[in-house]
Amino acid sequence: MATVEVRDLRKRYHNFLALDGVSLKAESGQLVTLLGPSGCGKSTTLRCLAGFLEPNGGEITVAGESILSTPANRRGFGVVFQNYALFPHMTVAENIGYGLKLQKVSKSELTSRVNEVMDLVRLDGLSDRLPREISGGQQQRVALARALVLKPKLLLLDEPLANLDARLRDEVRWLIRDLQQQSGITAFYVTHDQSEAMAMSDMVAVMKAGRVAQFATPREIYQKPTERYVADFTGEANFLSCTDVTPQGDGRYAIAVAGTTLELGGVPGIASGAPAELLLRPEALELTMPESGTFRGTVTKSAFLGAALHCEITLPDDSILKLSAEPNTQVTTGDAVGIAIDRSHAWLMPKVAP
Amino acid sequence: MRLPKPRLLLAVPAIALIFVFMILPITNMAEMSFRTTGTSEPFGEDYTLAHYSRIFGDAYYWGVLVRSLLTAATVTVLCLLVSYPIAWHMSKAKGMKAVFLYACIASPLMTGVLVRNFGWMIVAALNGPLNETLMALGIIERPLRLLFTQGLVILALVHVFVPFMVLPINNALRNISPTLIEASTSMGASRRDVFRDIILPLSFPGIYPGVILVYVLAVAAFVTPALLGGQMVSYMPTLIIGELTGTFQWPFGSALAIVLSLSTVIVVAIFTALTAKLMERSKA
Repeated sequence: MATVEVRDLRKRYHNFLALDGVSLKAESGQLVTLLGPSGCGKSTTLRCLAGFLEPNGGEITVAGESILSTPANRRGFGVVFQNYALFPHMTVAENIGYGLKLQKVSKSELTSRVNEVMDLVRLDGLSDRLPREISGGQQQRVALARALVLKPKLLLLDEPLANLDARLRDEVRWLIRDLQQQSGITAFYVTHDQSEAMAMSDMVAVMKAGRVAQFATPREIYQKPTERYVADFTGEANFLSCTDVTPQGDGRYAIAVAGTTLELGGVPGIASGAPAELLLRPEALELTMPESGTFRGTVTKSAFLGAALHCEITLPDDSILKLSAEPNTQVTTGDAVGIAIDRSHAWLMPKVAP
Repeated sequence: MRLPKPRLLLAVPAIALIFVFMILPITNMAEMSFRTTGTSEPFGEDYTLAHYSRIFGDAYYWGVLVRSLLTAATVTVLCLLVSYPIAWHMSKAKGMKAVFLYACIASPLMTGVLVRNFGWMIVAALNGPLNETLMALGIIERPLRLLFTQGLVILALVHVFVPFMVLPINNALRNISPTLIEASTSMGASRRDVFRDIILPLSFPGIYPGVILVYVLAVAAFVTPALLGGQMVSYMPTLIIGELTGTFQWPFGSALAIVLSLSTVIVVAIFTALTAKLMERSKA
């Protein structure tokens, strides 16, 4: 298995800059997710890795060696497509065995390897079916088996769950993660679903307009995002504008926000007095008596969701905080409340252009 | 009483059309082929098998039949070879380029059959532009006798039937998802592997109708063999027309026509049977 490194990758279509210097690194056996909205360049990056697209600049190395001059059919990567791309005229077994047939492995080895991998993805008994005769979830598993049977150096997955319904999606997601970890294959996974990215990945690259906005572990992406875009894309988030940012050293800052002053951690390197935003995840906030919280505000919306009570609190400076309270909390619209914040889940970020 | 299903009602015009213009004439022709030869009329009163035994007992007619079927097969194969790359190119074209290509492809059909064939006579004449060009290029030293050869008949038929092959294949190629090509490439397939294992089988739903259309049209072609084939070689259609309108042997001409039709149906049926599995698998 191999370390894969992407450095300063650039791709231009006519006048559109699809990739504007993408850099990533997957350590051997890691699953790296490329997360972002459509058009952010995540699929383009994957297609450059697969060799379907030729980048205009930059470098891709596998185990330290450049692969850019290697054509797609000699890279030895497994690719799983969003629409599965199964060969409609070949049976399940023929689909899975196609790559082995091209490698001219013996008939007995082909059969045993195909059976082995079909067992692994739980496709027993479907060998002779055509792709159109099996369900979407089964088709997805054929696509996965077809990539895995070749023991690829790198597994590339392009939104493999997008066409499945919610229940199957969960099942296949864990199957993919299990197989990837068992076989220790380095993998790149493209998705626009943040929960998928969080649950499966060793590392997540949040992409924004052809660049990597942040490349870090799922925990860091969620708790210590480098900018609002990343925080927004990875879950529910409240943002408060801050003034009087004073660095305290060691990534800690003193700030003035919504009428109080706070000291907390943030993105390293924010300059004194620079515009900044405070990230408060809903779970970092707790309703208190009006006199005891960090902030005071007025409840402007509350909705009972069963497991939680969803509230929106308007602060004196008109900014809004969303939070989930214990479902039996007695609040109604118009109540004055206090909000306590868990400072270890509060995070200061520089204000950057969206 | 139950009303007929609307679906059946919708089929009535088609059924009526097929009945009046296909079933009736064919039945009539089949019946005619068993009539005796008339003396003062095109056909006689009685029925006979004589025409069929004359056809099957005479090596001349066997020869013409085999020549017709083989020529049509040659035309079909050449047409497929010429058309496939064109269809491939066309399936990649978009916008105005696609429109332009469609127009080019359809161009042989935009010329009347007589004009087109007289055109070939001029082009292929001893001192025609084709020979002059070849001589000017130094490829040949003296003019080739092209006119009134089987080769020219085949060339002219391929030319006019290309659209019937290109259009369905183009259609089938457009239906092949590009990700299938990427998928096979990622599994190690070279361009040749991709073509042989993915594109060719998946384009078969276009090849099949193209082959059938061109074969049937080529077997039945009359004007081109009559004008460009000359007097030396005969094909079934020229023979049939000769009997029907030249010597007014309607029963014998009908028997020849029935033999030709049945032979064609048999060839098509064999082709269909041989490719049934591929067709079943590759259809979308």
